[in-house]
Amino acid sequence: MPYFEDEQEVYRYLGQLFLDLLADEELAPKFRTANTIVQYRYHNPDSQITVKLIEAEEGQVDLGPTRLEPEVVMTMDADTAHRFWLGKVNVTVALARGQMKAKGPVAKILRLVPLTKPVFPRYRAQLEAAGRSDLAEV
Amino acid sequence: MSGFADDRQMGGFKDFYQFSAPTRVIAGRDLLGSAGFEFAKEGARRILLVTDAGIRATGLVERVVDGVTDGGLEVAAIFDAVPQDSDGDVVARIAALAGETGVDSFLALGGGSVMDSAKVANLLFTHGGAARDWEGFYGLPRADGGAGRPLELAPLACIPTTAGTGSEVSFAAVIKDRGAQLKYQIGDHALIPRLAILDPASTATLPPAIAAATGMDAMAHAIEGYVSRDWNAHADACALHALRLIGANLERAVHEPGDEAARGNMLIAAALAIAPTSCGAIGIAHSLSHAVGACFGVPHGVANAIHLPVVIEFNAAGGEDVAARYRDVSELLGLPGAGEVGPMLAEHVRSLVRSLGLPTRLSQVGVVEAGIPLLVQGAIGDACTLVNPREATAEDLAELYRRAL
Repeated sequence: MPYFEDEQEVYRYLGQLFLDLLADEELAPKFRTANTIVQYRYHNPDSQITVKLIEAEEGQVDLGPTRLEPEVVMTMDADTAHRFWLGKVNVTVALARGQMKAKGPVAKILRLVPLTKPVFPRYRAQLEAAGRSDLAEV
Repeated sequence: MSGFADDRQMGGFKDFYQFSAPTRVIAGRDLLGSAGFEFAKEGARRILLVTDAGIRATGLVERVVDGVTDGGLEVAAIFDAVPQDSDGDVVARIAALAGETGVDSFLALGGGSVMDSAKVANLLFTHGGAARDWEGFYGLPRADGGAGRPLELAPLACIPTTAGTGSEVSFAAVIKDRGAQLKYQIGDHALIPRLAILDPASTATLPPAIAAATGMDAMAHAIEGYVSRDWNAHADACALHALRLIGANLERAVHEPGDEAARGNMLIAAALAIAPTSCGAIGIAHSLSHAVGACFGVPHGVANAIHLPVVIEFNAAGGEDVAARYRDVSELLGLPGAGEVGPMLAEHVRSLVRSLGLPTRLSQVGVVEAGIPLLVQGAIGDACTLVNPREATAEDLAELYRRAL
């Protein structure tokens, strides 16, 4: 049973997290150092989030269809993405097991992984504030 | 072994690791003459031999061609123009030559650049596209809609002519993007060569400076792999025995090039030392080195020789658990047990590097301080940084470059 019922739930929680990150005055500039456009393609439920992280430009998050052309594509189950943002997924292991698949200049995204640590409690808090503590238990 | 090693290997149990070493390795003397006999067992019939101009000039190519044809196989074409750092254009040319000549297999005779070029050319030959299209890890085509077994490439055999990269048994290839001034990696199980032939005759004409640099690359693989966050028991076994062999043979192989046993043991050490890397276990000496290779053209082994000591000092100061791993290495290399392990092991490596006649500072190989911000950008995004035993920020990496300068 997937954590998220449908793509709208993916956007409500994971999508909102990306929107919040790019609105954060401290974190957003650090994430924009990736200087790329990354698309997260999720399965179960099928959904897609595209994030523009370009230095000295406004960030952009598209939930669903997009006109942005991604340079890096990360493909995974929405459950894996959810567990990642709760700090429960080792990226190198997930790549080795095929739970995450990365296409394109992956280094641009890997450099962001250490920056995601402070985001884990934020995501948990976001779920709890939305009355979805059940999703935080993985 | 220290108490930590016991905890790590006996008491601890990892949530997950995978270890794969499917290459058939044959090692010993006088094996070049049976290259065809051995490669036929992997399904090869009509071969594209990939090498470089330097190897061609040594006469080694003729010996291998004779060995191939003696086994009843045909060398349909020879590509001998692989540069020191291969790029997407080179591998595209090799793949095109393979298509034009109707080969069914590849034989790489050379160092890391030659072997990596053959791997990626094989990938393009089989699945098409450009090299950069395949950048990343575990992204090659698989059966069952991507969930099944990786689709096989043509048979690839490697005869390494340096003892260092371990590419002859590894799942990865490094290719340079000259325009972007970076090196990128392609890694997946299907890239692993079917056969590796380790014969000291293939390193007999290796210049001492290259033997030294590539040997330090092997040492960096073993040490970084052993202390990496992504260590595992299978890879530990390979790394530790590789270090025993390197400790006993590297200086002899460099200073006494006629010592066939030392050169043969270094070939075996290099093939063992890469095992952790194939499981994702490595560290920031490699991140730092990839960047200086891409931006300043510093040979990978030389860069690792320079970076390894400063990284040991940095990591060992990061906590007792990491220091304990270095103590295992230190003990295995015969250093005294007392004293702070980071500075002691780092100084041992520096001393070894000096004795091998290699540069010990980045400033000796053309790296300038003004280049550090660009180097840090490359190193921070390197996959090796993620699995370093101590987390390294951009500021940490900049400081390590300054210490190595």
